[in-house]
Amino acid sequence: MERSGPPGDGVGAQVFASDPEVGADLARVDWAATPLGPPEEWPQSLRTAVSILLSSRFPMWMAWGEELTFFCNGAYRRDTLGRKYPWALGRPASEVWAEIWGDIGPRIEAVLGTGRATWDEGLLLFLERSGYTEETYHTFSYSPLRDDTGDVVGMLCVVSEETERVIGERRMATLRDLGSDPSVIRTEQEVLAFADRQLSRNPQDLPFTLTYLFDGDDARLAGASGVTPGTPVAPRVLPVGGSRTGDESGDEGVWPVAALAEGEARLVPLTGAPFDDLPGGGRSEPPVEALVVPLLQQGSAPYGFLVAGLNRYRALDDRYRGFVELAAGHIASGIGSARSYEAQQRRAEELAELDRAKTTFFSNVSHELRTPLTLIMGPVEELRTRLADAGDDVRTELDAIHRNGLRLGKLVNTLLDFSRIEAGRMQARYEPVELGAVTAELASVFRSAVERAGLTFDVDCPALDEPVHVDRTMWEKVILNLLSNALKFTFEGTVRVTVRRSGPHAVVTVADTGTGVPEAEMPRLFERFHRIENARSRSNEGSGIGLALVRELVGLHGGTIDAESAEGKGTVFTVRVPFGTAHLPEGSVVSEPAAARASATAGPYVHEALRWLPVGAAEGDGPGEAAAAPLGSDAGPTRSARVMVADDNADMREYLTRILTAGGYEVTAVTDGVEALDAARRRTPDLVVSDVMMPRLDGLELVTRLRGDSRTASVPVLLLSARAGQEASIEGLRAGADDYLVKPFAAAELLARVRANVELARLRGHHLRWRTALVDSLQEAFFVCDESGAVVEINTAFTDILGYGPEDLPYAPAHPWWPDAVTDPGAHAQVGEAFAGLLVNPRGSYTVPVTRRDGRRRWVAVNYNKAEDPDTGRRVTVGTFRDVTAEHYAVQRETALAALSTSLSRASSMPEALSGALDQLRSLWRADVVLAAVFDGDDTPALTATGPDLRWEDLPEARRERLDALRGRPPLTVVTEDSGAGVLLEHPQGPLTLWVDLGGNRPFTSEDRLLLSLLSGHLAQGLVRAHQIDQQREAAIALQRAILGPARLPDGFAVRYEPASRPLEVGGDWYDTVTLPDGRIGIVVGDCVGRGLEAASVMGQLRSACRALLLQDPSPGRALEALDQFAAGVAGALCTTVFCGVLDPATGELTYSSAGHPPGILVHRDGTVRLLEEGRALPLAVRPGRTRPEATCSLPARATLLLYTDGLVERRRLPLSTGIAQAGDAVQEGRDMPVEDLAGAVMARLEPDGGYDDDVALLLYRHPAPLDITFPAESSQLAPVRRALRSWLARCELPPNAVQNVLVAVGEACANAIEHGHRHAPGNDVRLRAVALVDTLRVTVADSGRWKDPQPGADTHRGRGMSLMRAMMQHVTVSPGPSGTTVDMQMRID
Amino acid sequence: MTTPLTLAPGRGPDGAARLAVGGEIDMSNAGRLAEALDSRPGPLVVDLTEVEYLDSAGLSVLFAHAERLELVVPPLLEPVLTVSGLAALATVHRSGVRDGPQG
Repeated sequence: MERSGPPGDGVGAQVFASDPEVGADLARVDWAATPLGPPEEWPQSLRTAVSILLSSRFPMWMAWGEELTFFCNGAYRRDTLGRKYPWALGRPASEVWAEIWGDIGPRIEAVLGTGRATWDEGLLLFLERSGYTEETYHTFSYSPLRDDTGDVVGMLCVVSEETERVIGERRMATLRDLGSDPSVIRTEQEVLAFADRQLSRNPQDLPFTLTYLFDGDDARLAGASGVTPGTPVAPRVLPVGGSRTGDESGDEGVWPVAALAEGEARLVPLTGAPFDDLPGGGRSEPPVEALVVPLLQQGSAPYGFLVAGLNRYRALDDRYRGFVELAAGHIASGIGSARSYEAQQRRAEELAELDRAKTTFFSNVSHELRTPLTLIMGPVEELRTRLADAGDDVRTELDAIHRNGLRLGKLVNTLLDFSRIEAGRMQARYEPVELGAVTAELASVFRSAVERAGLTFDVDCPALDEPVHVDRTMWEKVILNLLSNALKFTFEGTVRVTVRRSGPHAVVTVADTGTGVPEAEMPRLFERFHRIENARSRSNEGSGIGLALVRELVGLHGGTIDAESAEGKGTVFTVRVPFGTAHLPEGSVVSEPAAARASATAGPYVHEALRWLPVGAAEGDGPGEAAAAPLGSDAGPTRSARVMVADDNADMREYLTRILTAGGYEVTAVTDGVEALDAARRRTPDLVVSDVMMPRLDGLELVTRLRGDSRTASVPVLLLSARAGQEASIEGLRAGADDYLVKPFAAAELLARVRANVELARLRGHHLRWRTALVDSLQEAFFVCDESGAVVEINTAFTDILGYGPEDLPYAPAHPWWPDAVTDPGAHAQVGEAFAGLLVNPRGSYTVPVTRRDGRRRWVAVNYNKAEDPDTGRRVTVGTFRDVTAEHYAVQRETALAALSTSLSRASSMPEALSGALDQLRSLWRADVVLAAVFDGDDTPALTATGPDLRWEDLPEARRERLDALRGRPPLTVVTEDSGAGVLLEHPQGPLTLWVDLGGNRPFTSEDRLLLSLLSGHLAQGLVRAHQIDQQREAAIALQRAILGPARLPDGFAVRYEPASRPLEVGGDWYDTVTLPDGRIGIVVGDCVGRGLEAASVMGQLRSACRALLLQDPSPGRALEALDQFAAGVAGALCTTVFCGVLDPATGELTYSSAGHPPGILVHRDGTVRLLEEGRALPLAVRPGRTRPEATCSLPARATLLLYTDGLVERRRLPLSTGIAQAGDAVQEGRDMPVEDLAGAVMARLEPDGGYDDDVALLLYRHPAPLDITFPAESSQLAPVRRALRSWLARCELPPNAVQNVLVAVGEACANAIEHGHRHAPGNDVRLRAVALVDTLRVTVADSGRWKDPQPGADTHRGRGMSLMRAMMQHVTVSPGPSGTTVDMQMRID
Repeated sequence: MTTPLTLAPGRGPDGAARLAVGGEIDMSNAGRLAEALDSRPGPLVVDLTEVEYLDSAGLSVLFAHAERLELVVPPLLEPVLTVSGLAALATVHRSGVRDGPQG
């Protein structure tokens, strides 16, 4: 098609004016060459549709006319059309979308055929819009477009492209599955097999994958999906670096191994021999490219690489690349986990070996130590005695040497014991003892120390009934170690020792109410060198060997030791030793107990314990010195971790920075908690070291704030404090700190703690980081609510959809994205209700409106589930939601358009169409009121409103001005103001401005604007249609009236006409009266076959013909004979039935003839019914030429004649006689009504449920016709008036005295009227009207004067006149009015 | 067009003054009746037998002379005379009853 030069002007340009860019391109189309023709000739409906299309910001396209000519708007061009723009404009839709016509063609056909809209969600379509066949997904609706006559001639498509969402979800599923079950995966092989299975489930995005791992100089194929290992594309081994050529496979060069070994990703075109037989991955065509990415390893060369075949129907964009990289990242992390697990296994074995070596080493060393130690201790003992009187300084130092000598000796002895046990060289001597007494004695050694510590010491060791064989030295160590342990970890309460018998065992328990042992530590409690880290204790001293030794010693006794502990409650150690000797080695049992001796072992234990107590803690070795020893040597991070130091003391800050920097850390120093929090949010550190006491925000509060923010919740915190008490450290740990260090501390200890925490956090962080990455990469918004409903965690999509980011977490309810309670209470309540359900229900889903941070309205579909937080055990709600705004509004639009279309199509007139449409708009927006003003050229616009009887004048001035101002706007462009929205649209009678008043109940969003614009377009079209119907109907009614004439019925007649077919209100039935030259009246009622306009035209011809025939020859029979001939020549006139009569109104003589018409009904004044059944012959034109019979009938006075067409009396399944009898009854019932009223009553009485289903014509006459005389107000008129009245009364067949009474009463009324006429308005007329009902005579006399109240004197005879009137008639009323006086008189007659 | 009214003065068989009225009496011709009555002072028999219509204008004329009038009335006019109260003031005979003057 050729495109004509510059954009056209005139109508064409206006049609496209809504969008300057696309509109200009549309204007350039050579429309004359399309079936639509030039825009100037387009119908209103097409122009409206194009305006709506172009003014919308939603992607839309439409097709119109026989070739479904294509139009689209800017949004569609941007999202979907791609390179087809502007080529596609004006082309047949089947050409534009040729590649998918097989998919969409049938849908379009369905819309055009049925007029019903279609709806497809996420439909897969392969488009050719970007230079390649593209896999795309669309959610769209096709709705019908109608032309000015209401026929469907095109379709409109509103579409949301969902490609990104669908594909994103698919990829997300793969990533999720990859990370789905890491717990059961152990070996590298298992990891890779699992990954292959998951990757193979997404053949669309990963048609095939290969996983190669570097192994020395080779890369080995370790996993594959979609292709068979060993095929040309998947060689089992590839050389690295290409130095080795011609290896066994000969496939060197298939994948760029060398680049990958350097950690670079490569895009490889799949061309050439190795790629010939690639599978298509479920699609018809194989992939044409593969992305090869390294499997990266932190701080080291890649593990290997992943080859990912690419979906040829998608471009390799950042998202696709990111997906492949994430998948590779996961495989790499799985390999890393598997390898580190294997490494750990190896390490554990190495450690066990090391442990054995260490014990041997220590035992060897210990031997050597004992000698020098003894040589130290001997002189020290001597010096202490000799220098007993020396100064305090000397004594204190000597005591310290002595104490530490003892401690060293104890350590050495313990180690020796171990080595002996290990070597099986423990020299035991088991002697029978009374265990209760021995234990109690040992316990008593500790009593003073326990009591000095402020604890209750409860020793309950009764004598047992049987001796137990124990090695006393060993047993001492068992009991003393347990007691020492109890004292060390107990700060208040009791230490209790008991001895009991339990079956074959002696049972000794040592119970405390101390800090207890964490459950996780229980299995390792008795392990050598294992110390419970971070446990609160009186001292950090200890080698972690005591309990291990106890267990070994008890074991040598054939016994067992168990511990039960509850953190914070205390620990109970239970030792069970068997009675008897069977369990003991033979040679080591002695039968006699050795002589009791003081224990040399107890001293060092007690001395050591006393040192832990506050009274003794003053000199010498500080806790820092002691604790640093086991940790000091191996500090230093594996990689440079970021540590943030927060301390208000500048010296301390510098000291910490120095230590940590020297330890290899990257250090940031801040001066208080607020700065720390800000800095941590800006860049999350690996560890925070914070002082507890700080201005503004102290350390404890800092911990709480960091934990409350999802970004910093996992950052480990090490608190530093000068407060030594255990309570202080507990407080810190409770606040969520990971570790606690009391000042002063040794540099080495700080470094050790820092290192431990960083490492720990890294281990913990692996899963957390993966989880965060997963949650953040979800396309759906993700959130977690705590029990109160506060949102405590969100992901990136959440922020994208709602605009609220993690920086302000937590969000307490009512959340800031709830619609405003004041401006939009309805939506607010809706969200509130849904949210209440979320708090109580275990799971659920709902769709609600929300307000984005920028104020825009969004709709989200939420799914939620209750879950238990594994860390806290509290119930939380985990939810996801999707932005369904487009879907919501699409459905809303479809529904609203359908409702409006229905309303418009039902309307039978334009006012009805408009008012129905306003009601639709009102209920759609729950508006207070909807107004439409039509500026039709009159002074005041014509107002239509949803409110009752509102007029333009009733509107407030501001509203009138607003409606008026809208006229200056472009059509269909919605204007919003504070309380509602307005729009201008074309109305056949002039511009129509519409106002939807929301009364401030809710905001009018951009979606609402689009919808109103769409609906207005439809409404404008509907109004044009309704207007055409109106015009047709007006023409038809005028025609009907013209042919139904006479404009004035003769007096005494009443008629009704009810056509069955609406909205035109014309039909084939008719009635007619014609006043003949001789004063008689021709009466015709007829019924043509058929309905509607066609029957009406036949009827018109017959009616005119019959009228003319009667005027020419007033004989019903002959008139019908002539009409037979006439009808024979009129198509559609055959079988018309006609009742034709000639009535003499003076005598009541009726001559009639019936052409197959239902009989006339005559109801006498006594109620008897007579049917006019004579004079009957065939319907018209059946046998033209035959003579038609006539009959005569005399209408008695006050009888009523009813003529009709069969629609009045014909009922299905009922004989005609039933309907005729009903009609007779109806007439009889209306005996006291004037015929005009009676006609309405008969129609109403006989109307079937649901209205008449056939045309009905009805004609009533009551004999005689009323008397109606108008005469000048002159007394000379009285005699002739009286004469006429007398004659009329005679026709009414009244008794003579009644006649005289009426004459006198009427005479008086006329005389009065003449008098007043003379007095007030000489020459005016007086009107006399007399009507005979069946039982009543009614006379009115009306003049133009004003009556005076009857006065005595001059007007005496007038007073007499009134009395006479009242005496002669039964009912007299005088109604004075501004324009005259009316006297109404009635008389009952028989 | 004036309402038809005939006025025939005369004497009765007993010699009493008599006025025979025929036709219809309404406001258009009541004046002529009044003149006829005025021109015949003294007791007077007014024979209304041939009167077909009499309205309040005619009655007013008769009321003005009621005390000296003897009215001869056809049944048709009886209700009017009774309702107006004239029958109570004037001597009324029913026409067709050819008896002599009463009391």
